[in-house]
Amino acid sequence: MRQLCWLAAHSAWNRRYTLGLVVAAIALSVALLSVIERLRTDLRASFAQAVSGTDLIVGARSSPLQLVLYAVFRMGAVTHEMSWDSAQAIARHPAVAWAVPVTLGDGHRGYPVLGAPASYFQHFRYGAGESLRFATGRPYRGLFEAVLGAEVAERLGYRLGQRILLAHGHDPLAPTHADKPFTVVGILARTGTPVDRTVHIGLEAIEAIHLDWQGGAPIPGLAIPPELVGKFDLTPKSITTVLLGLKSRAQVFAMQRWVETQVGEPLMAVLPGVVLDELWQMLAVAEHGLLAVSALVAGTSLIGLVAVILAGLNERRRSWPSCARWGRGRGASWHCWSWKGWGWSSSPSYSAGSSPPWPSSSPALGWPRSMDLGLPWVGRRRASGCGSPPSPWPACRRAFGRRRAPTAWP
Amino acid sequence: MCKIRSMRLIVATGLALLVACQPASSQDYGLGEKIRPAPAPRAANPSAGQPRNVTWDDLLPPDWDPLAALKGLDLARLKDGDPRAQKALDDLKRAWEHAPPNRSLHGQRIRIPGFVVPLDGDPKALREFLLVPYFGACIHVPPPPPNQVIHALARELAKAQSMDAVWATGRLEVVRSDTPFGSATYVMQVEQVTPYREKR
Repeated sequence: MRQLCWLAAHSAWNRRYTLGLVVAAIALSVALLSVIERLRTDLRASFAQAVSGTDLIVGARSSPLQLVLYAVFRMGAVTHEMSWDSAQAIARHPAVAWAVPVTLGDGHRGYPVLGAPASYFQHFRYGAGESLRFATGRPYRGLFEAVLGAEVAERLGYRLGQRILLAHGHDPLAPTHADKPFTVVGILARTGTPVDRTVHIGLEAIEAIHLDWQGGAPIPGLAIPPELVGKFDLTPKSITTVLLGLKSRAQVFAMQRWVETQVGEPLMAVLPGVVLDELWQMLAVAEHGLLAVSALVAGTSLIGLVAVILAGLNERRRSWPSCARWGRGRGASWHCWSWKGWGWSSSPSYSAGSSPPWPSSSPALGWPRSMDLGLPWVGRRRASGCGSPPSPWPACRRAFGRRRAPTAWP
Repeated sequence: MCKIRSMRLIVATGLALLVACQPASSQDYGLGEKIRPAPAPRAANPSAGQPRNVTWDDLLPPDWDPLAALKGLDLARLKDGDPRAQKALDDLKRAWEHAPPNRSLHGQRIRIPGFVVPLDGDPKALREFLLVPYFGACIHVPPPPPNQVIHALARELAKAQSMDAVWATGRLEVVRSDTPFGSATYVMQVEQVTPYREKR
């Protein structure tokens, strides 16, 4: 067996460049396959972890998916806002355990700003029902105070006490609320959800920075300094969405119906779980497409490997009789090939990927090919007397010593 | 040639078997369609600790009559536009909106087929979901009455997509909830969720 391994290793070494290329191709394709699979599961997990324990998300009537993507993942935008009065009416409903009104729309250096009462930190849940934790600091109490998500603080290098400016919109060129800086009073622990990428401020603060604004731009000639904003009514007039938790989750349908029919404003209440499920079903097509492409790539490089082996076999016609000459039969040659196959398949390229190795593909495919060549196995073996030869090893060494001859040796 | 034909036959039979063994998926049901009866996999035998097979009609209290408002009202004798007819109909609908649960089922181990409405985001690991009697409930059609919704708490993470038909096995509880939507709701401590397969 050791001799066969030795043979197989040397044979592989002799065609190291071809083999190297094929192994690299397979390694790359398997890596592609596993990377795509990993991305798919990670994306799914991060989406699924993002919200938990919120029974309904209420917003102005539009597409449920649009509302959930904006309210939970800060992606896209909603076309309409809902009135503060409706939000209050919903929050007062006896079936509601908690309601957190939320306003989105402003940004800070590309990170979304979320305006919500401090009860947000108490009620919002993610993953398996975990609540938000503060890495340092505390929730906001004053007007111009902000709480940062973990990623915002880390990427921008912010600490407690840092003064930050908010922009009106998400793009870098958006006009800033330069006259009303915020102080960072808290940084949240990492959650792995969009909360990490969010700057949190109070709802009144959102109102305060827009006092001297009209229609998305500052009113020329009007500047209300931060110390004077308290003179005005800072109750929000409209908000983006309300996150609802119910006393009994079984009543979620009834509450949904109530919100959509009884509030008096055209509103929509959606179950985040159902909407996320719809999202999966839509993404499934793209996911399967990606997987199919990477599987094709992996398949192509495998076919390349087989082609190389078959070509090698053709070159090696003469090695079979010599194998047989030193007394090894069908089984031994097969072993020789399988060892080589195992060697390839257990190389790092295979073990790196998640797809199963194909240890026997080379011998299995190589075997019938060599039979086609009409190699006189049986006859030779009979001629050598069916028993073990006197000493196969020196013969093999001799043969191997001549490997630089035009004919390739296995 | 013969070989190829027999191979084809084998493949076709295999495919047919595969299709037949598939669990009922959301494609199999139309909007508002109730779950079609399937044979219970195990004989109901409460004495042996087996869960009792329960239908959605069993969840209605036996002594509760939503049609009470219409009793004693002979529609044929009323004049057109009679306010009593409309009032009776409104009362009937209100009665359904506040439908009480069947308290005799409290604490029983039951097995019930229904459609899944996920409450959390991950379809591979559902901790909480609602079980409803008909396809599309709440999403496209008006919601079922309160005593036709079960709030399921899975002990082990269940794997089901929105509107998948499943068997849920577990202990049913009637939980008080003083809200305008009813005084009590069903909560089920689910031990097992299995795909619902129809006999074809």
